[in-house]
Amino acid sequence: MRFGGIDVGSLTAQAVVVENGKIAGSKSIGVKPNPVDSAETVLGMLLSDLGLRHQDISYIVSTGYGREQVQSRGLAHANVSEISCHGVGAFWLLPGVRTIIDIGGQDAKVIRMDTAGELKDFVMNDKCAAGTGRFLEVMCRTLGITLDELGTLSLKARHPVGLSSRCSIFCETEVLHYLQRGADKADIAASVNRAMAERVAALARRVGVEPDVTMSGGVAKNGAVKSELERILGVRMVPCPVDPQIVGALGAAILARKMGGEK
Amino acid sequence: MKTLGCDIGSLFSKAVLMDGENILASKIIETTGNIGVEIEPLIEEVCRQAGVSRFNLDGFVGTGSGAELLEDADFLEDEIACIAWAARCFLPEVELVVDIGGQSITSMLLNDEGEVIDFMRNDKCASGSGRFLEVMANALGVPVERIDEEASRAKRRVSISSQCGVFVESEVITHVNNGEPPQDIVAGLCDAVARIVTSQARRFGMGNRYTFTGGVAKVKTVVDLVCERMEGEYQPFPLDTRLAAAVGAALLAETE
Repeated sequence: MRFGGIDVGSLTAQAVVVENGKIAGSKSIGVKPNPVDSAETVLGMLLSDLGLRHQDISYIVSTGYGREQVQSRGLAHANVSEISCHGVGAFWLLPGVRTIIDIGGQDAKVIRMDTAGELKDFVMNDKCAAGTGRFLEVMCRTLGITLDELGTLSLKARHPVGLSSRCSIFCETEVLHYLQRGADKADIAASVNRAMAERVAALARRVGVEPDVTMSGGVAKNGAVKSELERILGVRMVPCPVDPQIVGALGAAILARKMGGEK
Repeated sequence: MKTLGCDIGSLFSKAVLMDGENILASKIIETTGNIGVEIEPLIEEVCRQAGVSRFNLDGFVGTGSGAELLEDADFLEDEIACIAWAARCFLPEVELVVDIGGQSITSMLLNDEGEVIDFMRNDKCASGSGRFLEVMANALGVPVERIDEEASRAKRRVSISSQCGVFVESEVITHVNNGEPPQDIVAGLCDAVARIVTSQARRFGMGNRYTFTGGVAKVKTVVDLVCERMEGEYQPFPLDTRLAAAVGAALLAETE
């Protein structure tokens, strides 16, 4: 039996199919204006990659933005919150994990799990762009670099500059001033990643950080944010064994397996 | 007594030359990275306009986030004290002053003597500040000075649900892409700013006589929408609201 998970985020959408307790395939795309279109497209692309039809998937769970609409349009049998899906996905990959730091395009969550993989506690910021992928996007726009470059450029930094603001809009002004004064982009990039990690660490401290800790979401691919977080929180992150962006969709697929009747 | 007040704010710097409670001259310039060398010409221009020699001033007080750049001021005073003093002199009955500045919103509660007995300041977050309006005006292509004019032509107010400036900017862009008329988006933004300002002002309780100062207080649409939500009596600050701190500084110079 095959089970599917669809996760529509603010910037990207993912689909995962699991079969016989293994990931049969996954797909990630940039989002369309409408979450239902995103879900339909990403699932369609994955199914065509796998040579499958929609009816070949026994049970599908949707999560993320518009997860109810995705279900009501018949693309999924059920919908589950992102918090649960990220927790389940990470725990399935790494049974030792107790803390998941998920940084998405427009929000950040820290999820605590117990030894049985049950959700213990969580904290979420979706009100303020600071400490979310959006902050990094705004800073990259100001620096004239891509999100992928931000992590690598940061490794070349020699004298990181000080960024004193928390607010993304004020940080943008600070970054502009540094650029006007001729500061090195690598030094600014390193400070942006540090500022990002400080905000996320502050969020994580509100629920406590118990090892093992892992990261999911697109920002987990930024090595500089990850190492800054390790330094601030005093923990080593367990690397996510799959693309960290598919953890939510994977969790949805694992839940689909449970809900669809397979043990 | 001819006294000078100078307020180096986060977005704009202001100088005002006063004779008692009368403004003889004033000038507002943008605070740029070069402000250090632009202060002296600003002060000289104001003195020249007023026909007063730079060296014959009876007092000079500096304030604002960049006040330490005013090396030859007699003394520097906190903006909150300056704004409260200006409010007390022109509106002696006012109990609550809400200053909506370039990068902060400050609510001040005054006692019968016009002394600040409590205040609350948000300068950590751009939400609702002048910078917030600038970012949105930029995203819309409507200059800040034209906000009232645009909003007056609005047929409806688009809904803005976020508070964070970055997220509101995305909402604005979405509204533009959906073909909403700019004036309706401007009206929605004014409502969002009013909501943010009111929620801070209301923490000091309601029913006070109140006034607004700072750059955003010049946007009538915002002020009207805040007043709709407030109880108590609104008393408009009788001078250019952007000058409140500088005026307070000049008036404080007189007391020394």
